Amino acid sequence: MMKRFTSALAGAALAAAVSAPALAASGETVKTIKGRDSLLCTGHNGSYLGFAEVDDKGKWTGFDIEFCKALATAILGSPDKLQIIPVSWAQRFPALQSGDIDVIIKVTGWTMGRDTELGLQFARPYFIGPTNILTRAELGATSAADLEGGVFCINAGTSIERIVADYMGAKGIGYEALNFEKAEELRSALYAGRCDALAGFGPFLAATRFNAPNPDDFVILDEVLALEPEGIAARQGDDNFIDVINWMVSALLMAEEHGITQANVDEMRANPPSSSIGRLLGATPGIGDRLGLSNDWAYNMIKAVGNYGEIYDRTVGEGSPYKLPRGLNNLWSKGGLHYTLVLD
Amino acid sequence: MKTILKNSRTRDRVLQGAVLVVTVGILLTFVLTTRHNLLEQGIATGFGFLERSTGWPINFSLFEVTANSPYADILLAGLLNTLLVGVLGISLATVIGVIVGLMRISDNFVLNLVGTTFVEVFRNVPLILQVFVWYAVLTHLPSPRQAISVFDVGYISNRGLIVPSLDMSALDIILFFVGLGFAGCAIAAAGKTNETLKRHAWSAFGAVCIALFLILLFSGRSADAPLVSIPELRGLRFVGGIAIKPEFTALLFSIAVFGGAYVGEIVRGGFLSVDKGKIEAARGLGMTAFMVNRFVRIPLAVRAILPALTNQFIWLMKATTLGIAIGYPDYFMIVSTSINQSGQTIELIALLMAGFLLINYVLGFTMNWINKRLALKGQAS
Repeated sequence: MMKRFTSALAGAALAAAVSAPALAASGETVKTIKGRDSLLCTGHNGSYLGFAEVDDKGKWTGFDIEFCKALATAILGSPDKLQIIPVSWAQRFPALQSGDIDVIIKVTGWTMGRDTELGLQFARPYFIGPTNILTRAELGATSAADLEGGVFCINAGTSIERIVADYMGAKGIGYEALNFEKAEELRSALYAGRCDALAGFGPFLAATRFNAPNPDDFVILDEVLALEPEGIAARQGDDNFIDVINWMVSALLMAEEHGITQANVDEMRANPPSSSIGRLLGATPGIGDRLGLSNDWAYNMIKAVGNYGEIYDRTVGEGSPYKLPRGLNNLWSKGGLHYTLVLD
Repeated sequence: MKTILKNSRTRDRVLQGAVLVVTVGILLTFVLTTRHNLLEQGIATGFGFLERSTGWPINFSLFEVTANSPYADILLAGLLNTLLVGVLGISLATVIGVIVGLMRISDNFVLNLVGTTFVEVFRNVPLILQVFVWYAVLTHLPSPRQAISVFDVGYISNRGLIVPSLDMSALDIILFFVGLGFAGCAIAAAGKTNETLKRHAWSAFGAVCIALFLILLFSGRSADAPLVSIPELRGLRFVGGIAIKPEFTALLFSIAVFGGAYVGEIVRGGFLSVDKGKIEAARGLGMTAFMVNRFVRIPLAVRAILPALTNQFIWLMKATTLGIAIGYPDYFMIVSTSINQSGQTIELIALLMAGFLLINYVLGFTMNWINKRLALKGQAS
């Protein structure tokens, strides 16, 4: 009897030994990133204000760049192990497929076509993008209907083109779409008065208004044409990488929910106020093993870039020139749409 | 066997056949590998997307295209937009070029100076900069509400030039011009002998076209619909008339002026290449200055100009792709947007290449044909 018990125990131990590494195995993408010791992440061809801005020294900042840094830290332990590859909107998908970049963090809307036909897999939305209208104040418009017959400048090749066509079509409002490839030309056309309105992503409009020769000449209408969930996209078929991204976003949100900031993260780790915070910061193991990462990845990440709210404020929110309200990008408990996954 | 191999013609054919097989094989491998990889990555392939609706509109096309139109329609609209700006641009460039070229070879100091300045300025500034400059000028005109009025029928604003238009369909216009063309042929043939029958056939066809045009114009039109549509400001835009958009104008101007500078130099070169001796010989035969130009100088110059001009025309046609910089929906821009919206990169790039190949091949073929027709008999062209 005793012998049988021992052998059963040995068998269980063996099974555990075999299954443990399987649990923590990294996917192809993470292996490639670790082998290169650097994450290749999306930048922009020029500056996409608030999200991917590049200065004259080639230093990148912005909301998307912070997420690139967060991912680099989660996988490689340092926000510096990151290479930002400047790609245009159109290049982002081929660049991902060819391996020029590891991941697309470039305010990319989660659409069915991209999900099913382009060989992409999306992780949970990390940003909720409203589509708004920026218009000239002198026109006195308060809604899209007041802009009947106007010229709308729109960024060519983005989902905004379709959103505007659907919205205006459903409401029976006539308009003329003038499409530009580059944001710089789009803006100067609006500033020059070539178009009556600029339809686009809310944060982009805030930046456009901020950069105008006289910001008071322009107003953003309250009307929300559409809501676009922006997801981080990776190559189809690497489930482990998608897991890593999902939990990275979740960890940033969880840190905000529990009041963990860049400043107090050390203290929180030393004396975790709750067991879930202990798990999040790696005071008790589990958060890393199960993803094939180190157990302190979330701690390192928060130490490097702060929590979701801190990133937001620094790049597009109150702490930035754009002063974009949190709105739908707040936590659910504060009237927004973001929530954390359950960390057990 | 040995004798077969010794036959050089057979040997060459076998070699050529082998090269052909290898080339086709390599190409086929490329295509199959790409296809395999795309399928592996879960990317849809094929041209099925051409029938799907785009979901996005464009603001300028020669026939009506909406957000519900399929990709095939919007691509055709783009191709026609390219042809429109390309053909008009090349025509204008040729006119400007001939004038500038003649100015540069003239003995008049002022004309010479103007011609030289024109060439130096517009040839040396990159085309894309010229496009931006013209576009900036045009978009800084007053807004529609403060538009500059031209006798209350036309308006100039930053939305472009709005002029009255005839309320006609595309079919009307095509018939009208076909009719006009045949009538012209009939008149041209009238001067020649032995062409009576041909002339009658032509004029009859022309008359039928004009008659059809008139019937189409007045039938199916409600009595109160005016024949001429005059633009008027309503809300944010002008209603009625026809709008010539600033994107189109800027691109057309740039191509015309930039191309004109190059064509001018080609024309100048052509005229300078005419052998002085031949001119002197013509004068010696007692020809007047007009006759020297008409029968000796111009025919010889044109022969020298044509091959270089063909190159320039093809170059200018390709330059229409700069429309993307200022939002002119040319073929390149439509393809680029379609790639982004549908994700069918390889198929669309193939269509893009095929489109430009077709346009430029036809252009080159026509120019070469003209060149051959004009070439002096018995001389290498």
